[in-house]
This record gives sequence, structure tokens and C-alpha cells, in this order.
Amino acid sequence: MSVRPLLEVEDLEVAYGDVQVIWGISFTVAPGEIVTLIGPNGAGKTTTLRTISGLLSPKAGKIRFRGEDLSGRPAHEVVRRGVIQIPEGRKLWPRMTVEENLLLGAFAPRARDMAHEQLDRVYALFPLLKGRRRQLAGTMSGGEQQMCAIGRGLMSEPELLMFDEPSLGLAPLLVDELFAKITGIAKQNVTILLVEQKVAHTLEIADRGYILETGRTVLSGTGKELRESEYVQRSYLGT
Amino acid sequence: MGLDDLLNLFVAAILLAGIYTTMSIGMTVIYGVMKMVNLAHAGFMMLGAYFALEMSERLHIDPLVSSVLAVPVFFLLGVATHRSMVRFVPVADEPTLPSLLLLFGLWLVLQNVGYGVWGADDRSIFSALTMATFQFKGIVVPVIRLIVFGIALLSLVALHLFLHHTWFGRSVRALTQNREAGQLAGIDTGRTAMLTFGLGIAFTGLAGALLANLYSFTPEFGSSFMLRSFVITVLGGLESFSGVAIGAVIVALIETFSILVVPASYQHAISFILLVVALLVLPGGIEGLLQRWRRLG
Ligand SMILES: Nc1ncnc2c1ncn2[C@@H]1O[C@H](COP(=O)(O)OP(=O)(O)O)[C@@H](O)[C@H]1O
Ligand SMILES: [Mg+2]
Repeated sequence: MSVRPLLEVEDLEVAYGDVQVIWGISFTVAPGEIVTLIGPNGAGKTTTLRTISGLLSPKAGKIRFRGEDLSGRPAHEVVRRGVIQIPEGRKLWPRMTVEENLLLGAFAPRARDMAHEQLDRVYALFPLLKGRRRQLAGTMSGGEQQMCAIGRGLMSEPELLMFDEPSLGLAPLLVDELFAKITGIAKQNVTILLVEQKVAHTLEIADRGYILETGRTVLSGTGKELRESEYVQRSYLGT
Repeated sequence: MGLDDLLNLFVAAILLAGIYTTMSIGMTVIYGVMKMVNLAHAGFMMLGAYFALEMSERLHIDPLVSSVLAVPVFFLLGVATHRSMVRFVPVADEPTLPSLLLLFGLWLVLQNVGYGVWGADDRSIFSALTMATFQFKGIVVPVIRLIVFGIALLSLVALHLFLHHTWFGRSVRALTQNREAGQLAGIDTGRTAMLTFGLGIAFTGLAGALLANLYSFTPEFGSSFMLRSFVITVLGGLESFSGVAIGAVIVALIETFSILVVPASYQHAISFILLVVALLVLPGGIEGLLQRWRRLG
């Protein structure tokens, strides 16, 4: 591939205190791609995303965005560069309205001036949120909260959007809708790093993927290659 | 005991609730953003009272005017305290021993400074308004209490507008409700903590200066008010800014009406008993209780 990757993670190691959980993983995400990280519970997917976002500092290794080293930078500096995470479990502000949650998604200085235009775009993508704009976020259903969390992530016009298990706890019908929204967002030139457990579904929309197990990359390939790999079929697709 | 007397007590309680809210809100914003209990709260309130005294004695500035001037002065004092000490305490999701020890130590230091500078004598500030009263249909209200209430109310309205309509205000509420989500939205937590500490101390200094219009004070001033602030904050659910106002009204009503049944010498125990009761039966504060009722209903 000749295009310089947008995100490069190189030999990343992360520890919680003395307990190391990421043992040198490497992967790249090129502009416009949907890349997925797949792995069982406890593999280290959330830890990886949290480290990229600057919530955790790596023990070793590099995280480069557009060639700039971001490892160990505080979260607000990472966000300023357009690297946005939609965290596991939504993490909305429960006692704020839907609209307040969305507006705060444009907190980064580069996004503030555009906040109201961007709000209209998010409402166009999720008409349901517009009807609920004055409702307290904490009183919505899981699916509605997930839409709000995604909307909040889009408010700063991200360059790289990282999803941590967005389908967790959603009814099957909503899962289909969610994946449709994610591909829709990708078509608008947002690069996507998707962590998911719905493996079959994810590999259908992903350009490339990496399989993570106990803090190591065990396999990588295009979505198609992974879908057809015997190992993935046996361990993740149950066929 | 006629209806008039009850009405008088009720009005007195509401007026008290205003200053109690202003006094407690500083503690609440600091707890919300930093999850630290400001044990130096009383010390800054005491400094607020002496600030009004100095302004009155040296510059002949009315103590009510001084209380407003205290806002920017104590904001800067709070920011300086954060930059020089508080920011070195590791961030946590609940109060930690280092933060409690630091702020408790700071309170002791401030008291000692108070004794060193102003001595142990009881001080009070008299102004033209101190003795004036205002009467309306059998209700008698000291004018000074009315004005103090008005300033307290204005400060709360300003805070409300600020928290809801500025980027910094929204970031304060965001970090209070979910810190990590705030970081992921790009909020600089260190800067926000510093400004929030300034904001909290600004309200604490304002409250101290306002209280100096109503009560006499020594360098010990503030400790009984700090206990009340704890109660009000706990009743309010620790992190809810509107809950604080509800908590303040409850504490003010109970204190005011308890005069009818509890001997004056036991007055101090009332806040303490309320605190224990609130901690035991209302872990989520009044709002938590209302939410539970709504869910049941
Ligand atoms: N805050 C934490 N402190 C200590 N260990 C943690 C913490 N969070 C996660 N871990 C451990 O790190 C490993 C990876 O967890 P995580 O990144 O959440 O995995 P995944 O998202 O793939 O399920 C697990 O063994 C988990 O127990
Ligand atoms: Mg996870």
C-alpha cells in the first residue's frame, strides 16, 4: 500500500500497574478504511482504544497519527487532532439533555464554531434524536443512547472514529440498523476503527481486520480473508 | 404561637436557605469535578469574613459591596491554591486520603494565619443597615437579611446561567457526571479542575463575606457552617447543583423550626444528626429518593 496510514500502532505494550495486558501489538488504519479489531473478552481491545485516546499511557511502543507521535499525550490533545472514541457502554452524561450531550461533542476548539451546523447534520442522520433533543440522556433506551453517543462522536467532524462494541446490549433489529449507520458514516470520508464481538457482521463491512488474543495480534487480513480463514470460522463464527 | 409567628419563622428559614445554598455550592462544584471534599471550606469562609472586615475598616467599603468584590479575589485565591498545592494530589474517582489530609492541613494553617493576623477576639461589622427592619403584614424581616438573600440568589442565577450556557460551564457539568466521557470529548481536565477550584472558592469567599454581615466571627468562624454545608451537599445528592438548593431549604427549615422544640444549646447537634440520618437513609440525596419513588410509581 502506497498511501501513508492515518493511524499506525507499533509494538504497543500497556500495563495496569504491574499487570501487563498488551504485549506488543501493531496495526495500521489507512484513510477511508474500516478496520476492525476482533477478539474474545479480556483480549485487550478496550485497553488498546483507551491508550490510543490518551486515557492510558503505553509502557512501550508508538502510536502515530498522520505521522505524529501521540503516545502518552493527554486525551484532549488526541481529540484535538480529530481522533474520537465512542466508548464501551456509551458513557453519556445522564443528567444532561440529548442536545447538550451532542453539543459537548463539539467541545474541541476546532469544532465549536461549526457546532450548530454539525448538530443539524447529526439530526439528519438520526432523526429520532431530534425529537428527543430535550429529553435527559439517562432516561433513554440503550439503542437510543447508542445513537446519541455516535452523534456526539460525529459532532467534532472526526478524522478517525473508534467504536468500542457499539452493538453491546442492542436488540437484533437495532444491530442491523447500527451497522448500516456505521457504513453510512464511513461513506462520508470518516475512517473507522471498529471493535466488535458480532464477528460475522463486522467482517462483512470491514476492509481489513486484526484478531487479538490475550494482548497479542494472532491473525490479520482483509475482511474476506478473515471470513474465509479456517481459524476464524472455528473460533469466532462457530461453523 | 400564632399563625404570624409561624409565617415569620418560615420567611426567616427561606432567607437563610439562600445564603446556605451559596455557601454549599462551592463545596459541591469542587466535589463534582474533582471528587474532593474541600475540608478547607471553613478556612476560606473565615477569610471571606475578614476580607469584608478589612475592606470596611481600612477603605470604608460597605460589607455588602465587599462580598461582591470577594468573588474575583477569592477566585484568584482558589486558582492559586490549586496551582500551588491541590493539583499535585493524584486524580481519583472518590475522595482520597492525600486530598483530605492536604485540605484539612490547609484549614489548620488558615486558622493559624487568622489568629496571627486578627487575634482571637470576636469581631463584627456594623453598617447603617444592621438594625433596620422591614415590615409587611405582620412579617418582620431585617433588611440586611433580605439584601444578603438577594445577593445570594443573584449569585445562584448567575451560576446557573454560566453552567448551562458557556463551554466552560458545560464542561464542569460534564466532568461531574462522567469524567471519562468528558476527556473523550476533549475537555482539558487539569485546566477545568483549576478553574473549578477557583469558582468553588469564589462562592465560598462570597458566602463568608455575606455571613459576616449577619454574624460575629473569629478565626474559628466557618466550622459550624462547614458542617451544614456537608449536610446540604449530602442531602442534595453530592453532585447535583439543584439538589443543593433543596438540601439548603430543608436544613434551614429544620434549624429554624427546631427552636420551638429543641433547647438552643442543642442547636449544633441538629446539623450533625441530620448528616448521620442523610448518610444512612439517603445515599443518593433527595433527588435519588425522588427517582426511586418515580421508578416505583
Ligand atoms: N482498570 C483495569 N485494571 C486492571 N486490569 C484491567 C483493567 N481494565 C481491564 N483490565 C484487564 O486487562 C485485560 C484486557 O481488558 P480489556 O482491554 O477490557 O479487554 P476487551 O476490551 O478485549 O474485553 C483483561 O485481562 C482485564 O481484566
Ligand atoms: Mg472491551
